[in-house]
Amino acid sequence: MTALQVSHVSKSFPGVKALADVSMTMEAGSVHALLGENGAGKSTLIKIVTGIYQPDSGSVLMNGVPVRFANLRQAAAGGLGVVHQERNLVTRFSVGENILLDRLGSGPLSSVDYTAIHREAEKWLRLLDLEVDPRTTVSRLSVAQMQLVEIGKALSLQSKVLLLDEPTASLTPNESTVLFRILRRLRDDGVAIGFVSHKLEEVFDICDRVTVLRDGQNACDSVELSGLNRGDVVQMMIGRAERITKRAPRPKTAVAPYLDLRDYGSALGHRDISLTVRPGEIVGLYGLVGAGRSELARAILGLSKQLAGEVRVAGKPVHIASVAQALHRHGIGYVSEDRKQEGLILLHSVLANGGITIWRKLATRFGFLRDSTVHAAIGPVFQRLELKTPSVYQTIGNLSGGNQQKVSVAKWIAAGVGLLIIDEPTVGIDIKTKAYMHDLIHELAEQGTAVLLITSDMPEMIDVADRILVMDGYRIKGEVENDRNYDAVSRAIMGFIHGQAAA
Amino acid sequence: MAILPATDSRLTRAFDNDWIGPGLVSLIAVIGISLFQPAFLSSFNIFVLLAAISVNMVIALGQLVIIGIGQMNLALGSIGGLVAISFVGVIETFGVPVPVALILGLGIGIAAGMVSGTIIARTAISAFIITLAGLQIFKGINLGITEAQPFYGVPDVVKTFGNGSVLGPLPWLLVPMVICSLAMWYLFTRMRIGRHILAMGSNPHAAELSGIDPKATIIWAHALSGLLAAVAGIMLVAKLQIGQPTIGDDWLISSFAAPVIGGAVLSGGRVSVGGTFFGVVIIAIITQGLVMFAIDPFAVQIVLGALILWAVAINRLREVRIQRLQARGAGA
Repeated sequence: MTALQVSHVSKSFPGVKALADVSMTMEAGSVHALLGENGAGKSTLIKIVTGIYQPDSGSVLMNGVPVRFANLRQAAAGGLGVVHQERNLVTRFSVGENILLDRLGSGPLSSVDYTAIHREAEKWLRLLDLEVDPRTTVSRLSVAQMQLVEIGKALSLQSKVLLLDEPTASLTPNESTVLFRILRRLRDDGVAIGFVSHKLEEVFDICDRVTVLRDGQNACDSVELSGLNRGDVVQMMIGRAERITKRAPRPKTAVAPYLDLRDYGSALGHRDISLTVRPGEIVGLYGLVGAGRSELARAILGLSKQLAGEVRVAGKPVHIASVAQALHRHGIGYVSEDRKQEGLILLHSVLANGGITIWRKLATRFGFLRDSTVHAAIGPVFQRLELKTPSVYQTIGNLSGGNQQKVSVAKWIAAGVGLLIIDEPTVGIDIKTKAYMHDLIHELAEQGTAVLLITSDMPEMIDVADRILVMDGYRIKGEVENDRNYDAVSRAIMGFIHGQAAA
Repeated sequence: MAILPATDSRLTRAFDNDWIGPGLVSLIAVIGISLFQPAFLSSFNIFVLLAAISVNMVIALGQLVIIGIGQMNLALGSIGGLVAISFVGVIETFGVPVPVALILGLGIGIAAGMVSGTIIARTAISAFIITLAGLQIFKGINLGITEAQPFYGVPDVVKTFGNGSVLGPLPWLLVPMVICSLAMWYLFTRMRIGRHILAMGSNPHAAELSGIDPKATIIWAHALSGLLAAVAGIMLVAKLQIGQPTIGDDWLISSFAAPVIGGAVLSGGRVSVGGTFFGVVIIAIITQGLVMFAIDPFAVQIVLGALILWAVAINRLREVRIQRLQARGAGA
C-alpha cells in the first residue's frame, strides 16, 4: 500500500532550479532510502513533503489523498513524523514532557497532568526498548538515547510515515544496530520509513527501496534495492563510476624546509615534536581523535604558548605569538575543520570571506578598501577553484558545503601563504567535491606551497599525502613514507598507534 | 542501554536550588543589619520593607515571563505608568467606580503587552527594538494625557489598600503580590502556556518543530507581562496615593536585577519565582539598610550593579559545573 507519494514535484529558488519533476513512492511496511550528494535536492524534497516549502508544481499524496501542509505542525497532525538531523529536544525538560510537548493540555491555561504525561510517554519508550524513566531530564541522556526519544516523539503522533534525516550521524555502530532493530520492527508494524544517509553500508543493511537524486532530478525513482549493488548506487549518485584514485608517488623535494619544528613542546601538552614541511610537499598528520593534531596546528599558529624546542620558518628561528603574526609575518594559513564556526563568517558575502586575509595588504594608506580591488585580487582564485555562486555578493551561508570549503581555501591562496595547514578538508562534503579538493591540494603543492594535511580519513590520507606522520598522545609516534600501497601503509600507520597502546 | 534513575542528586540539586543562595544572603543580611540597627526589625520598618518588596516583586514577575521566553521587555515600566495614570484618570475625570477602573487598567496592560507581542511574533524583529519603541510610545501617550501633571483623585479605599495593614506589620499590598507569585509559580511549573514559554526560551527551534505555536506563545508571554505591569502600576498608585506620570520610569534595572540574582538565565528557558522573590528582598534590604546607615544613596546604585555582576558570575559558575558533570556523564 502506498503511504506517501511525491508526484512530479518541481521547485525553484531565485537563480536555482532545486527540484525538477521529482517523484518518489513510499510503501507502508518498507524502509525507503533517499540518497544523493550534497546539493542534490534531498533536503528540499523533505522540506516540501513536510510543508516547510510549497512546491511550484506537482503534488504530494498521503494514502492517495493530495495534501498540502502549511507547516510542520499540520504535517505532524496529518501523520507525518520527522526526525531532523539536529537534535530538537528541550534539554531542561523531562523525557516525557518532550515527547508530548505539544499535547500538555487542551488550552493554554490548562494544567499539566504530569502523571498522565509520564504514563503515556512510558508506552512509547517501551515500544523503543528505551529503558529510561520518562521523568529523567533530557540533558542526562546519551546522544543515542536522545535520538530514540525523538523517534518516540514522532511515533507518539501516530505517524504512519516516518522520515529520518541522517539518524546515525552521531551514533556509534552499536547504537546504530539497536536503532536498526527498532526500525525493522516499526517497518513490520506497517510504518513507511524514509531514510536519508551518507553511509551506503547502512542503506544496504536496512532499506528495501531507493530513490536517488542527482542535480535536482531523479537518478532513479523508488526501485528495489535488492537488484542493485554498491557500485550501481554510487554511479547513480555521482553520474559516473566511483573513482578510486591511484596517484603516482611524487618525487621527493630536497629544498630547505619551510616549517621546521625541533623538539617542540606546547602549553597544550605536546612534547618532543620534530617535523619538517618542505615547499611543494604534502605532509600528512594522522592520528585518532584526541591525538593532538588540530591542537598542534593551533599551537603552531600561536594560539598556545611554546614551552620547549625551536620553531623555524624558512630557515629562521621564530616565535609566533598570534594568528595575525603567523599569517602576515610568516605566511602560515589554516583551513579549520570547523568551517562554520571558525573558518567562515556565514552571514557575510563570498567576497568578504574570500578577501578577509588580504584586506590589510590591499587597503590604501588611509585604510580605504574597495570591493573592486578585492574582487580583482580574489576573482581569479575563485575561477581557478571553479567556485559556483550566483554572485560574489551572495551570503556564503547559502552556498553548499563544498563551495563554502572552496572559499575557505581560496582566501589562503589569495594571501599567498607559504605553508597551508588543512584540517579535515572533506568532512561533510560529497564524493565529487572531495575528489576535487584532493586535486586542489595537489595543485597547491605543485605550485610550491608547503601543505600540512590533518585528516582522520585513511583513504584520503593515503591518496593525498607524500609522507605521513603518526601522532598519538600529543607526540609523534613515527613516520611512514607513502608509496600509495594502501594495505602496507595503513598497516604501518596502525602499527605506530597500536604499539603505543600496548605499552 | 542502562536504566537511568529519575533523579540524580547532584544534577537536580544544581537545577532546583535557585532560591537557596539568594535566600541565605537575605537571611544573613537581615541578621547582620539588625545586629547593628535593632530598629531594622521594628514593626514599622518591616511594614515599609514588605510594601516595597510587594510592588517590586510584581514588577520583577512582569520581566520574568519575558526572560523565560528569552526576550526582554524594556516597555514594562512605561506600560505600568500608563496603566497607573489611566486608572486614576478615569476615576477623577469620569467618576468611574473603582472596580471598573481596575478592570479597565488591567485591560490596558494586557492590550499594550499584546501589541508588543504581536508585532514581535509577526515581524520576528528583536523584542529589544520593539519594546524600546513601545517604551517611547506608551510614555508619550502617558505624557499626552497627563501633560506631566499628576492626577490627585485617588479614592480613599485605594489609599487605604496601599497604606493599611492586614495584620500587624503585614501590608494589604502583600495580597496581590502573593497571588501573582503563586499564580506565576503554578504557570511555570504546571500550566501548558508556562511550559511552552520555557520550552521556547530553551530551544525555540525544537519548540516549533514539536508543534508549539511560537507566535501565540510570544503574544501570551507579553500579554502576561503587560498584565503584571498593570497590577504593579495600580499597586504603586495605591501606595503613593497619587497618579504620578513618572510611575514606571525607574523599574527597568531592578526588574532585571531581581530575576538574575534569583538565578534566571537571560537567554531564556530557566526562571525561578522563589529565587526572584529573594532577589527582590536582597535589593530592598540593601536599599533600606544603606539608608539606615546614612550612606549616600548613590552608593545604592553601585552596590546594585555589583550585586548583578555577582549573581551573573554565580550563574555562570553553576552552568560550567553542570556542563562538566554532563561531560563526565557522557564520557563514562
